[in-house]
Amino acid sequence: MNHFIASALALILQEAPAVSRWQTIKQGVLEPDLSKFLVIAALLFIIGVAGVLTRRNIIVIFMSIELILNAANLNFIAFSRYLQDTGNMNAVAGQVFTVFIIVVAAAEAAIGLGLVIALYRNKETILIDKIDLLKW
Amino acid sequence: MTLNGWEAAFFWVFAIAALVAALLTILARNAVHSALFLISTLISVAALFILLGAEFIAGVQILVYVGGVMVLFLFVIMLVNVGAEERGNEELFNRPLQVTTSAVVLVLLSLGFIYAIRQGYEGMLRNNNLDTPEQRQQLAARRQARQQNLSPAATGTSRISQDTQLVGASLYRYAALPFEIASVLLLVAIIGSVMLARTNKQEAATDDIETKEEGGEMKDE
Repeated sequence: MNHFIASALALILQEAPAVSRWQTIKQGVLEPDLSKFLVIAALLFIIGVAGVLTRRNIIVIFMSIELILNAANLNFIAFSRYLQDTGNMNAVAGQVFTVFIIVVAAAEAAIGLGLVIALYRNKETILIDKIDLLKW
Repeated sequence: MTLNGWEAAFFWVFAIAALVAALLTILARNAVHSALFLISTLISVAALFILLGAEFIAGVQILVYVGGVMVLFLFVIMLVNVGAEERGNEELFNRPLQVTTSAVVLVLLSLGFIYAIRQGYEGMLRNNNLDTPEQRQQLAARRQARQQNLSPAATGTSRISQDTQLVGASLYRYAALPFEIASVLLLVAIIGSVMLARTNKQEAATDDIETKEEGGEMKDE
C-alpha cells in the first residue's frame, strides 16, 4: 500500500521542466489553458459523485447528478473551443452534444422528481436508507 | 488555446466560485440552501462557457437549468417535508464507514484524473504540433485574425460572433434525427412525470385503479 501511494505521488510529481517549476505554475495561473478547464470539470465531477455517495436526502442526490452532468458539459465545451482554435471543421459538435445533454438532464429531473413525490406520498420519507422495501 | 489578461482573472474567479458553491451544495443542511448553491454553480459554469466562446450554450444553461430545472427542484422541496433534516434530527450523511470509503476512493480518483489530464494534455499538444509557446502564439494569432473577419457589433466595442448560427446549422443539418428523438424524450418525460405525480384520488377518478375501502397505508394527497 505504501509502495502504491509512493509510486502514485512520484507519477504525479515527476515532471522536470526545462524552466523552473515555479515559472510553470505562474504561467499556468496567468494563462489558463484547456487542461485547467479539464481539471475544474474533473473536480466538479468528483464533488458530484461525493454527493451521490454520501448524502441521504434523495433531492440532494438529484442535485449532485446535475453537477456531474454539468462537469461533462464543461469538458465538451472546452474541447469544442480547443478544436475551433486548431481549425477543426467539426468544432461545434461539442456544443450540439451539450444541448442534448441539457435536454436529457431536464427530462431526468422531471421524471426523478415525479418519483420523489410519489415516494413521499407512499413512504413519508425521502431518506434513501429508509426506503428498503426490496431489501431482505 | 490559452486565456490571458482579464479572461484569465475571470476564469479563476468563476472556476473557484463554481467549486466552492458545488461543495456547499453537497454540505448544506437545508435542501433549499443546496438548491441555491447549485444555482450559483450553474451560473458560474455558464460564465465559464462564455469565456470559452459558447454564448448560446451559456444562455441555454441559464434558461433551462436555472429557469426550469431548479425551479422544479424548489417546488419539490416545498412539497416534501425535509424539516427533520433541517432541525438536525436526522443525519445528513450515510454511515461514517461509507463516507470514509467514498472519500478515500474519490481522493484517489481525483489524483488519477489530474495525472491523466496532465499527461494526456501534453501528449495531445505534441500530436497537434503545439508543444512550443511560439506555435501556440501562432494559433492565437490565427484565431484573432479569424475574429477580425467578423462584422462589428452596433456598439463598435466587440464583434458579432457566429457561434449561435453555427450551432443551429449543425443541430438541424447533422443532428436532425437526435433532435427529433430528444423531442420524443421530452414528451415521454412530461407524460411520465404527470402519471407519477398523480394522487390516488385522481387515479381513481379516471378508473385507473381499484378504489380502496379503507385508507390503510395508501394515503390520499
